Amino acid sequence: MSDVYLDSSIVGYRARARRLGFVVFAAFGVLFLRLAQLQLVEGDALEAASSRNFVRTVKLPADRGTIYDRNGKVLAVNRPSFDLFVTPSQVKDLDALIDGLRAVLDLDELDLVHLRERIEEPRGMWRFRPFRIERDIDRKRVAVAEALRARVEGLSIRVRYQREYPEGIVGAHAVGYLGKPTAPELEADAEGRLSVDAMIGRFGLERRFESVLAGHDGFERYVVDARGARQDEGWAERAMSGIQSRQAPERGHDIVLTVDVEVQKILFEALANYESGAAVVVDPRDGTVRGIISKPSFDPNLWSGRLTPEAKRLIDESPYNPMLDKSVHAYFPGSVYKIVTALAALEEGVLDPDDPIDSPGSYEYGNRVFHCHKRSGHGSLDLNGAMAASADVYFYKLGEALGIDRLARYGRKFGFGARPGLGINGEAVGTVPTREHHDRVTKGGYQYGLALSTAIGQGDVRTSPLQMAMAYAALANGGSIFPARIVDRIQNEDGQVVSRYDSKPRSTLEASDEHIQAVSRALERAVNDAELATGHLAAVAGGRVAGKTGTAQVMEINRGRGRHDVKRFQNRDHAWFAGYAPYEAPKLVVVVFLEHGGSGGRDAAPVARRIIEAYHQRVEPVFSTSALNEPTRR
Amino acid sequence: MTRAAATVGRIDWSVIGLVVLLGAVSVFNLHSTSIATGTTVYLRHLYWLLIGLVVMGAVAAINYRNLQRVAPFFYGVVVLLLALVLAVGKEVNGSRRWLDLGFVGFQPSELAKLAIILNLANWFQRVPRPAGYALRDLVPVALLLGVPMFLVLQEPDLGHTLMLMFIGISMLAYERFEKRALMTVLLLGLVSAVPLWKFVLRDYQKDRVLTLLDGKADVHGAGWHARQARVAVGSGGLIGKGHGDGTQVAGGFLPENHTDFVFAHLSEELGLLGAGLVLAIYLLLIVAALRSAAQARDKFGGHVAVGVGALIFWHVVMNIGMVLNLLPVTGVTLPLLSYGGTSVLTVMAAMGLLLNISLRRTVF
Repeated sequence: MSDVYLDSSIVGYRARARRLGFVVFAAFGVLFLRLAQLQLVEGDALEAASSRNFVRTVKLPADRGTIYDRNGKVLAVNRPSFDLFVTPSQVKDLDALIDGLRAVLDLDELDLVHLRERIEEPRGMWRFRPFRIERDIDRKRVAVAEALRARVEGLSIRVRYQREYPEGIVGAHAVGYLGKPTAPELEADAEGRLSVDAMIGRFGLERRFESVLAGHDGFERYVVDARGARQDEGWAERAMSGIQSRQAPERGHDIVLTVDVEVQKILFEALANYESGAAVVVDPRDGTVRGIISKPSFDPNLWSGRLTPEAKRLIDESPYNPMLDKSVHAYFPGSVYKIVTALAALEEGVLDPDDPIDSPGSYEYGNRVFHCHKRSGHGSLDLNGAMAASADVYFYKLGEALGIDRLARYGRKFGFGARPGLGINGEAVGTVPTREHHDRVTKGGYQYGLALSTAIGQGDVRTSPLQMAMAYAALANGGSIFPARIVDRIQNEDGQVVSRYDSKPRSTLEASDEHIQAVSRALERAVNDAELATGHLAAVAGGRVAGKTGTAQVMEINRGRGRHDVKRFQNRDHAWFAGYAPYEAPKLVVVVFLEHGGSGGRDAAPVARRIIEAYHQRVEPVFSTSALNEPTRR
Repeated sequence: MTRAAATVGRIDWSVIGLVVLLGAVSVFNLHSTSIATGTTVYLRHLYWLLIGLVVMGAVAAINYRNLQRVAPFFYGVVVLLLALVLAVGKEVNGSRRWLDLGFVGFQPSELAKLAIILNLANWFQRVPRPAGYALRDLVPVALLLGVPMFLVLQEPDLGHTLMLMFIGISMLAYERFEKRALMTVLLLGLVSAVPLWKFVLRDYQKDRVLTLLDGKADVHGAGWHARQARVAVGSGGLIGKGHGDGTQVAGGFLPENHTDFVFAHLSEELGLLGAGLVLAIYLLLIVAALRSAAQARDKFGGHVAVGVGALIFWHVVMNIGMVLNLLPVTGVTLPLLSYGGTSVLTVMAAMGLLLNISLRRTVF
């Protein structure tokens, strides 16, 4: 056959066909290796990616634990809250839906137009996403919405937990509130426990005990298709095999506090006339906090997710700093600190309590003159008289004899310069100044005169009202320093105790009973001495209160522009009263701190008296007599 | 031996066997699409395959010498159809690739591949250069190839333009060239790359190339298809998720899972074993084509066989390369596995050509 060529070129074609074959093999080799790489090497990762496509996980939020007071009164609790949602893709009759919503929501025509736009606007996958049109509707509206839901499609009601604080502003600082996690917190959350719409403890005990109260969220998983529509049958059912479809949420534990709501109310009422301050009531026998408030307060119900920008602005701009927990913030204590000086002097042997010491109106030391609050002076006084009259020169002399470092040692024995142990709201350490401290922070370094200021609670001394309460508790109980305890126990839903917080003294004053008695006796005089007592307005009829007033000078810091009333407020002295009752067998320690409140004797002492009286009448008898049932002198 | 018996004896049963096996795999695979979508796409595909078998038989039966004679006429018709599709083609997603014949859509660019194969082979037969082709010989080849490529690019259909080019280059690779010609062509190719990128490629086509180079970019735009294909393939693992249980297909996450991305679908449900089997079938088909080429009794037959092998090869490489995220996303189908009438008939006709040539091969 002529057309069959058997010439030499056919050999060339064969070689080239083989060469093409090699190329083909090589290319298929690449394809196969790539296939194996994706299916075997990257298989697990891509299978996970595939699961992310079709598995939708819905969080089942855990019910947050309840916070109770010592008598079982609710301070913070979750309540179901109903939110209204619309899913655009499910809406069949938009007009009927909008019309029906008129009866559920207080919407004007413009709102309804906006709502209509929000339902019509979404495109693509967004149409399958429910969006919230109203949160936390009341029961009556829920009923109306349910009826509407039965008639028209596209509406849904979701239940969520809303934190509720039945006592409102009373004791808000200690209990705290919830808020959304911040962006950095979300980023740091490796376990994925948080979500954008989670509410976590932001303040107070809600924050401190977040891990106890929060519980563990559960989840529900189901299969969706590419449009986000739920699938339950066929492939979807088989795809779910091996995937946990539900994890029940675990409720958080409850917390029972040592605090008594009634005491909280008493503190609030007693401080009613003062804008800014704090008050603490502690049981000196075991260091438990019975009441702790800070003023001005805030409404945690609003702060837990319902705060309007306007309300927040008002609080942020308030000169009284409502969001600062003043009960654990450190301030100049003034004369309430004199217990440290007195006990130090007795223990160090530089003072005999019965020795009279001349206490004039001023004391010259080096090239400085140290004044007493009473410029005319007090004459010769023993410890009882000096404490009663709050004679500054008497204490200057003790300070001079002791030196600042010895004063500091006793300050620390009383628990100053250390956190009382509540663990909330940036609990202050305060300052117990030493020579080293002044060398570090004071211009010109330490000078011996600073020991004198420290002896009367000025200089650089800073203490918090809570620290002061624990210090006075130590005098009241014979020398034990307790850690401040506000949580009595953690228990589960059924009331079974999960853990209990013990009251164990963490240290003692390491002082002789005799000297502790001497200081206590002087404190009793400071309230009850007929002639000298600066704290006489704290005295109650029919019982004996021991305690000390303090009027801490505030440096005039505010000469510049500003609201006149604010400036006047900021330039007033801090008023303190710290004491306990009854003197013979103390049951409660009361500390009143009025920020820029004026005078300890005039302002803080009567507040303390009202607290003690009300405590006796409304909480538990403090005094053995019924004398207090008579109308008290006010 | 009678002539008929001799003819039957020469039938390349391996090609037929591979085609039938591939067809069976594809119908099985598309059956799962039918489960997911509630359609009968697998049945329609089966009908096309059966019609395709008839076409294959018919093409195999006509002596290819006669096909060679009508090749120029066929070329003319294809060029006319390509021009026609630009004028009256059905516009889908911004491009005109389809002629609407009323009862069925028809893609002239598919026929263009066959026209190129037949006419290049024809030219090589008519212009033999035993010492190797010179540069000036390539001008008519370039024209023959360039006209349909230009028209297909206007649709625009980058995938098929490249397809035509690759088939042409593959057939040229089966020939000898003077060194100078070879160098010049390579140089021209390199030099033309820049203006091609700048002026010929459209933005979305560039996007697809860029997406491939940076797989993470824009997972919802150009990268979406590629990403979901990769997820489908990878999640199949060694043995696959099982027939009808491919979540990427059933859930609708994998787009075009019965056409361009059908291999991702198959890999998801049948795993490396199933996908590897399919790769092997294609490889054997191409090997069969190259064997037929080497055994062809003339240059026309040899080149047609190489062209058919190249058609299968490039379709497989471009399609699977795309599915495996090795190559950019182009609308190139996977022979016989992708659903689509024109595609199936074209491949079947090409298989018919292959059988035709092996039937009339040189017997030593």
